[in-house]
Amino acid sequence: MLNRLTCFPLAFFIIFSLAPVPLTAFEPSPDDRALLNKIERDTLQYFTRFSDKMTGLTKDSSRTGSPSSVAATGFALAAYAIGASRGWIAQDYAYARILTTLQTLRHKAAHQNGFFYHFLDVRTGKRVWGSEASSIDTALAVAGALLAARYYPGTEVEKLAQEIYERVNWKWMMNNSDFICMGWTPESKFLPYYWDSYNELMLLVALAIGAPAFPVPPRAWERWLRPEGNYNNHRVIYASTGSLFTYQFSHAYIDFRNLEDLGNNYFENSREATLANRDYSMSFSGRYQGYSENSWGLSASVGPGGYKAYGGKPGGGIQDGTIAPYATLSSIVFTPELSTKAARFFYDNYQKELYGNFGFKDAFNLDKNWWANEYLGIDQGITLLMLENYLNGEIVWKKFMELPAIKKWIELTGLEKRSASPVLN
Amino acid sequence: MISFSIVLTPREKTMSQNRRKHFFINKPLQIRFMLAVIIPLFLINLVALAGLYFGIWSKVLDTFSNEQTLNDLVTASRMVEYEQARHPVASQDFSSLSFFKQTEKLSQRQREVFKGILDETNRSLLWKFSLLLVLLAWGTIFISHKIAGPFFRFSKAFNAVEKGDYRSRVTLRKLDEGHPVAQEFNDAMEKTDHLLSNLKTLTQEKDAPQAVAKIKEKLSTVQTSTNA
Repeated sequence: MLNRLTCFPLAFFIIFSLAPVPLTAFEPSPDDRALLNKIERDTLQYFTRFSDKMTGLTKDSSRTGSPSSVAATGFALAAYAIGASRGWIAQDYAYARILTTLQTLRHKAAHQNGFFYHFLDVRTGKRVWGSEASSIDTALAVAGALLAARYYPGTEVEKLAQEIYERVNWKWMMNNSDFICMGWTPESKFLPYYWDSYNELMLLVALAIGAPAFPVPPRAWERWLRPEGNYNNHRVIYASTGSLFTYQFSHAYIDFRNLEDLGNNYFENSREATLANRDYSMSFSGRYQGYSENSWGLSASVGPGGYKAYGGKPGGGIQDGTIAPYATLSSIVFTPELSTKAARFFYDNYQKELYGNFGFKDAFNLDKNWWANEYLGIDQGITLLMLENYLNGEIVWKKFMELPAIKKWIELTGLEKRSASPVLN
Repeated sequence: MISFSIVLTPREKTMSQNRRKHFFINKPLQIRFMLAVIIPLFLINLVALAGLYFGIWSKVLDTFSNEQTLNDLVTASRMVEYEQARHPVASQDFSSLSFFKQTEKLSQRQREVFKGILDETNRSLLWKFSLLLVLLAWGTIFISHKIAGPFFRFSKAFNAVEKGDYRSRVTLRKLDEGHPVAQEFNDAMEKTDHLLSNLKTLTQEKDAPQAVAKIKEKLSTVQTSTNA
């Protein structure tokens, strides 16, 4: 009898300790949920306001004179579809904007073997600022196009999105190496940098492996480094910069919760990285007044000294008191409670300086009394998609994971499916 | 084999004798003089240069703060910064830009651009400033030489007189200071030399009483400390 009594709790403990660790079942208060919805809705307005009406290309930044960014344009495609599905913008309007943008990307935007140049002229779609044909930015554009296509199946949107995807010669971008090159310019040809270590590369490699045309071999997934580090008891496969966005971009589209890669779960990895990032900034709270338990988020952003790859540990750990609220919000699927509290804190305390017509501005630094006066397209995009996943039934993940390309990538790379998903709320 | 010999005219000989053989003929005096001139001039130059330097650069930076220019600059630098964010570089050390508060809010690329311009300006100014210092040093040596040279020649003449050589005269270069004094000195020496020459001649006379009387007459106009 005694044995039976002790065996049950023991078995119960063993079963639950081996099962995937669920996220805290956190439910935001109605006020907080309303705030998060407001932020997502306001963030959407960036794309309607800063995308060219004729070409659909989206500006890299809200700053005057900014060129369009092809990655931001990709986020815009996703944003319009999401906005329309939420009833924030009219369906006809969203469809027309998406169609215009895809037609520009298909027929007008400068590209090399399907890879769009990082920065394009908003009006003409021509390459500007000597930018490179960028693999990651093209992947973000293609991902946005494919997601938009999932919202409008059987339409011209789906056809164009597929054509754009099929045109990309992913294999060419490997430049006969084991990794995908970061870019190519007509002047210098292939850049001397490759996607060879953990960062935001996962979405790019997934699309490249799962591509219907010119796919890269599965070894492009296997070979990249997975460096492990530890900060404050958070074990993380980390990106060199330690910037939060590197743990977020791929997760905007791909639901990694059920996927195991060589014993690693990148969703949990991003959660650990987020917590480590927060702990890292907290360790400087005595030095920088901007850092506190509800004020955190070290990620690449504009700052008092320009755009920098701010980040935590493990990783580069560059910080100067600058916080990027977009990064805090975009961690919401990993750390719902902490991110919600931070959003509330930022909004309640810094609304006047930090919050505008298009949501939170890019960054701020209390110690230098510096407040960004601009929004960045890609930062707006990641915010919107992560909030949508969190607030609207993981809809982006659900739609994107159904793509044949993603299924092909999972199959070819041998990623194992995990039985249970951590819950978001 | 052809050989040449140079024959100097008397004037050329005089000029050759008067040519500066040493820059420092009275080192302590000249150095004091140099310092007295150089330090104020140096300080004035320094203040003027610093004023110009910071004034110009503040103006340049203010100009670049113009919205239109700034936008272009920010866009250009942002392109580079994006790349640097993907491939982080080492943090910037202390540089000449650290003196300018205006650069605190500039981006890394903007700072690089300005640092390049500033370093180029600094190099140019340093070269000119060094040249200015050399010219200043040479100028003060030249000027002090015009004063120290006459002092030296007077000193030499007095030493000769002390040793009993009343033929000594002070000859100054054309542009030296103290020509009137030298002239008066030479006139005085001329008279003294003449007097002493006459006295020496009188001592040769055979008629001693008459010679003594003449000597007394000659010395009657001479004021000395034994008059009393």
